[in-house]
Amino acid sequence: MATSASPTPDPAPGRNKFSTRLLRGGTEPDPRFTLANERTFLAWIRTSLALLAGGIAVEAFTTELFVTEIRKTVAILLLVLAMVIGAGAFFRWLNVERAMRHKTPLPLPLIAPILAVGGAVVAAILVVFVVLRPL
Amino acid sequence: MALRRGPAPEHNDAGLQPERTSLAWGRTTMAMVVAAAIFLRWMPHHGWFAGILVAVTLVTALAINLTQKLRYHRAVRGIASETVHADVIGVLFTSASVFVLGALGIYTVLFLPVDG
Repeated sequence: MATSASPTPDPAPGRNKFSTRLLRGGTEPDPRFTLANERTFLAWIRTSLALLAGGIAVEAFTTELFVTEIRKTVAILLLVLAMVIGAGAFFRWLNVERAMRHKTPLPLPLIAPILAVGGAVVAAILVVFVVLRPL
Repeated sequence: MALRRGPAPEHNDAGLQPERTSLAWGRTTMAMVVAAAIFLRWMPHHGWFAGILVAVTLVTALAINLTQKLRYHRAVRGIASETVHADVIGVLFTSASVFVLGALGIYTVLFLPVDG
């Protein structure tokens, strides 16, 4: 197996250069796993889109409800979270794909605790705002 | 459905992986259209700049929709031949698009005045 003397071993003909470079080595995993990974990525992207829409909605719809500072803070927190989850979804997908190619344990999702903490922070800000709001 | 035309490849996967993956992409484009509709709310305040956000979102959704058939057939053939090449370009494009939208949104909130 390891005695191949070929200078450029290409175990996957039909892949473009870009994906060969990003997903180097290993063997093609079960296609079901590759497709499942893709669907999980898409679920994260939809989460990111929901945060994006949420951030925009806070900025667009709550001018009469929140003071400017709170409104902008919440909107930006949600948008930053959307960016982190959106970009993180790609790296998560890539790391899982790599782990599957090399038959190593799947990495833990870093974006899951980020989403949990980020969501909790936004909720906490809103709770404090509601509690301290003059009647 | 446009999938009916031509000799559509077939698979015998009881888990219906190609269909589920195709529907997941479809749901994602719908989420994008909803996001684009919410971006429209910014247009009275921010004009053409909000229009850019709407356009980026809709173009991404359209690009995904136009390649749905391609992606479905690739998945079906992959299941049949037991090898699917990971869709690096599609995944990277989608992720980058959402990232850029977030950045444009933050720019709007921070630097563009609300005149409403």
